[in-house]
Amino acid sequence: MDLSKVIKEERINLNLNAKSKDEVINELTDLLVETGSVANKEGFLKDVYAREEIGETGMGGYIAIPHGKSAHVAKTAIAIGRTYEEIEWGSLDGKGVKLIILFAVPEEDKTSVHVKLLAQVASILGDEEKCQELLTVKSTEDILEIMSNNKKGKEVC
Amino acid sequence: MKIVGIAACTSGIAHTYIAKEKLTKAAESMGHKVKIETQGTVGAENKLTDEDIKNADVAIIAADIKISGKERFKNKKVLEVPTNIVIKSPKALIKKVEELLNEKE
Repeated sequence: MDLSKVIKEERINLNLNAKSKDEVINELTDLLVETGSVANKEGFLKDVYAREEIGETGMGGYIAIPHGKSAHVAKTAIAIGRTYEEIEWGSLDGKGVKLIILFAVPEEDKTSVHVKLLAQVASILGDEEKCQELLTVKSTEDILEIMSNNKKGKEVC
Repeated sequence: MKIVGIAACTSGIAHTYIAKEKLTKAAESMGHKVKIETQGTVGAENKLTDEDIKNADVAIIAADIKISGKERFKNKKVLEVPTNIVIKSPKALIKKVEELLNEKE
């Protein structure tokens, strides 16, 4: 499985400056714009917020998965950000979030291999141990390793 | 017990697969056999066979949208929940299923 197609180091920022949900989404969207995944920032943001209206994307355990299925996405991609402070989000457990994974999927990318890769990422997020690691590892390389290795991750302190 | 199930969410990108993983992990850790079909953007994956369904004690439908092939479970004990319930507290849900089946016996 080649996750490098959707997750790249340039799209991971473990030191987000954002202090609010809007700022997080904005910063992560910038990463997607800079790396050529999102073609039209305003349009994409509108679709992300439209999804937020439907229901909480904070999945509990300090992790949120906002996503936009949008005509303004040029290439399927994932941006990953982490904040130092908890960000108020709208989560299933009522807590704030620290790790935010923004999925960008083109409207027409229905059957592509990329969407399957996203599904792989999503199932990693169903693994509590992995989530714990994603919240605590120190480097973007570690994040990439956890994301691309669907077996038990390496020991972290 | 043997559990089959379906996971499906609104955009079919994330919650579907997180729900599947959580349900599978929780059920297995509690000593059950489990198979969850996902109905996401890419269509149905890990499809349940007639055999799977026949052998199952219970079906869990974790969905935020209408799923396809619900009639497959017509003679089964079925529990329907939104994906959020599975993602938030998968073990509690499995526990509830256990209680439900015990009550019946």
